[in-house]
Amino acid sequence: MKTLVVISHPEIAESGSQQYLLSSVPEKEAVTVHHLESIYPSGQIDIEAEQRLLMEHDRILFQFPFYWYSSPALLKKWQDDVLTDGFAYGAQGSRLAGKEFGLILTIGVKATAYQAGGKEGFSISELTKPYQAIAMKTKMTYLQPLVIPQFAYMQEKQKMQLLIAYQQMLTREREDSLASREKWLIHELEKTDPATLASGDEQVIQQAIERIEENRETIDELDAILEQVRQS
Amino acid sequence: MEEKEWITSELERVYHNSRDYKQKALLAETIRLLQEQYLRIEQKEGELDGSLWSPKDW
Repeated sequence: MKTLVVISHPEIAESGSQQYLLSSVPEKEAVTVHHLESIYPSGQIDIEAEQRLLMEHDRILFQFPFYWYSSPALLKKWQDDVLTDGFAYGAQGSRLAGKEFGLILTIGVKATAYQAGGKEGFSISELTKPYQAIAMKTKMTYLQPLVIPQFAYMQEKQKMQLLIAYQQMLTREREDSLASREKWLIHELEKTDPATLASGDEQVIQQAIERIEENRETIDELDAILEQVRQS
Repeated sequence: MEEKEWITSELERVYHNSRDYKQKALLAETIRLLQEQYLRIEQKEGELDGSLWSPKDW
């Protein structure tokens, strides 16, 4: 799977959260990071190049700070210019059909602010309806968003959890189950660099992989027995 | 020591010895996922015990 991350942020160098995400991009994976303000400082978008880029990827992600319940201006312009009739939709369109589409949003308030009764009053799912409609119109599958609240207040442990959630958003299969997270984690453990481990610790990584696999077998066996018991 | 505690403490040791930030995050996630698996097993075993002792089967 090839993933395209379209980032829009007018001051990305000054953004702690964006810099953290950029440094979290998984290595040795088919991920293209595409920061619009760096590529198009004048705002003039190369429509053909952008459409080609979209065609080359299977998962399209928009990453941006949630400004006034929407994206920074250049990403909106990009949508208007690139997602054209005949390419993204319409009688001659649907070139994006079958791809996956998702959002990675940084927000400046607590996650709980985005709900009925909260400070913002509406949920992220409600406020991102235009993006869900884009996915529907272009026949892409809309993914669960990754919402990053108040990065500046995160502690190291939370940042590490964010790093993993971000990597999974970029490279894990869509299904969000314990089994799919196990599969993703094993793949990552298998390719982790032994050079940065202490001598002999590689063996512990191998034992952890085996443990995860054995636990999965146990869970599946228990499921099968429970199913039999329910039927009897 | 139970296997569960053993693998967790081993992974914690590996985490502290690792010299790479992303690798540390991966190791922390491995500890979390293993805990989730052990909890899932415990819950399913509990469910099975409950099912086997269901009064409707008495």
